[in-house]
Amino acid sequence: MTLELLEGSEAIATSAIAAGCRFFAGYPMSPFTGLLENMSRQLPAAGGVCLNAESEIEGVNMTLGAAAAGARAATGSCGQGIALMQEAIAEAALNETPFVVFNMARNQQDYFQATRGGGWGDYRTITLAPKDVPEAVEHAQLAFHLADKHRAPVIFYGDPLLAQTRIGVSVRPLDFGPLPPKDWALDGTGGGTGRSRQVWTWAMGKATDPGPGPDRHWRAIAEKFAAIDAIETRSEQAHVEDAETLVVAFGSAAKFVEYVVEELRADGHRIGWFRPVTLWPFPGGALAAATAGVRRVLVFELNAGQMLDDVRIHAADRSAVRFIGGVSIAESGLAYGDLMDAPVIRDRILTACSEGGRS
Amino acid sequence: MERELVVTGVGGQGIQLLAKTLALAATREGRHAMLSADYGGEMRGGPSKASVVIGDRPLRALPVLASAWSAIVVHHRFSEPALARLRPGGPAILNLPLVAPASLPAMTTYGVDAGAVAKSVEAPQAIGFVLLGAYNAVTRLVDPASLVAAMQELLPPYRKQHAAANARALAAGAAVLDGPGADLTEVSR
Repeated sequence: MTLELLEGSEAIATSAIAAGCRFFAGYPMSPFTGLLENMSRQLPAAGGVCLNAESEIEGVNMTLGAAAAGARAATGSCGQGIALMQEAIAEAALNETPFVVFNMARNQQDYFQATRGGGWGDYRTITLAPKDVPEAVEHAQLAFHLADKHRAPVIFYGDPLLAQTRIGVSVRPLDFGPLPPKDWALDGTGGGTGRSRQVWTWAMGKATDPGPGPDRHWRAIAEKFAAIDAIETRSEQAHVEDAETLVVAFGSAAKFVEYVVEELRADGHRIGWFRPVTLWPFPGGALAAATAGVRRVLVFELNAGQMLDDVRIHAADRSAVRFIGGVSIAESGLAYGDLMDAPVIRDRILTACSEGGRS
Repeated sequence: MERELVVTGVGGQGIQLLAKTLALAATREGRHAMLSADYGGEMRGGPSKASVVIGDRPLRALPVLASAWSAIVVHHRFSEPALARLRPGGPAILNLPLVAPASLPAMTTYGVDAGAVAKSVEAPQAIGFVLLGAYNAVTRLVDPASLVAAMQELLPPYRKQHAAANARALAAGAAVLDGPGADLTEVSR
């Protein structure tokens, strides 16, 4: 396996194209800009199209159009720009148009935005949160697979460390299994036959070919997301068996927590870690099992406490849950602040453990 | 084993290029490498820092290093936070005279007047490569030929005319340690 030294943005773009992404549209915004630049550099040679849209709203709607025509398509921004995209993402979730949204976020403050919907209607967005660049390479392809499998938009939740760290990686197409044919795609083959297809949020159909209508359609959509919730959760954990303390974190923060917990284990602490890999669906069952025998559950995230809600919902004993994260932004506003640092995280864990006995 | 290097100094001294050269050289040797860059919008004159991690297995190190084995200190300005994370005893290359020879008493330090060395081989712009050559002579992290190849690969077409001078700088930096009559100042060991 030959490794190439790639910046995260380049690795993610290369991987997305290896997965068959052939359309990308977005508007520059740091730290997302690197992904857009790499898509712009690489997509034409792969037979694809990359557009620098007028704004995020145009970018996501161009992507929706390309995806409706059957292409593997993606857009992206950071949380601020993805806030602008919510109408189109909601429409796509409800009219079942699969595409990928790369949130190369500035921090972890977009957890609610990613996991709670954000537009209108009964939908959620499958959200993958890789912990490092090698996993980001995998998720850049898995995101397209899950989108096509469930005909739904999928969010890839990145950050400045994933976008900008250079690391030796190997990018090759990954096989996640068979997918249903895109026999719904608006590819023009039904034109003029009276059997032209529709992708419509309200599913009313045509006079000659009525659809189920909004009531039946939106019930079916709600049931689809309930089914996704049941089968697509992913999580990772270690040292849960004998842990008195369990630290929960996602994305890059989880990589830091894993590093610190391994050090604390070496020092004799009975401590473990748990990472939701999918933020939605949240791996609540796995977290409930992992927290069943622990005295305290510490939640570390770089925001005011967003995933904290999901941990409280699913922990075996919600009174054992403590928040040890916080808002921490670099002076530029474009990256993490001082809290994303192993010694700081170690101190916070040890302080929390000292409040109520040894870990 | 993982080896970490922090390079710290002022934007414009060649810090990012030297770090990238080392990381690419290790990658081309089939090893695992990680490079994190940290610099301000000023480009020149502002803080510039880079860290490189090299290992023979998938790396455990974080993109924000908890601690580091070695350092190249190109300028004392802005260097304090990075240097506070060095583990005692590891090698550190100090760019004399911009960095005081008595800096980092807990490290095994090697002073190199990179400006003078670079001028002596008619490569005055390449002090970063002098320091990288010296660093690699001390640590032997990669084959010197890999550094030259990586440097050549990284130069954009409009900078290719500097390849020969950069290669001379890498060799001259290494000779500071290896060659006879070298002006290496071993401050402590």
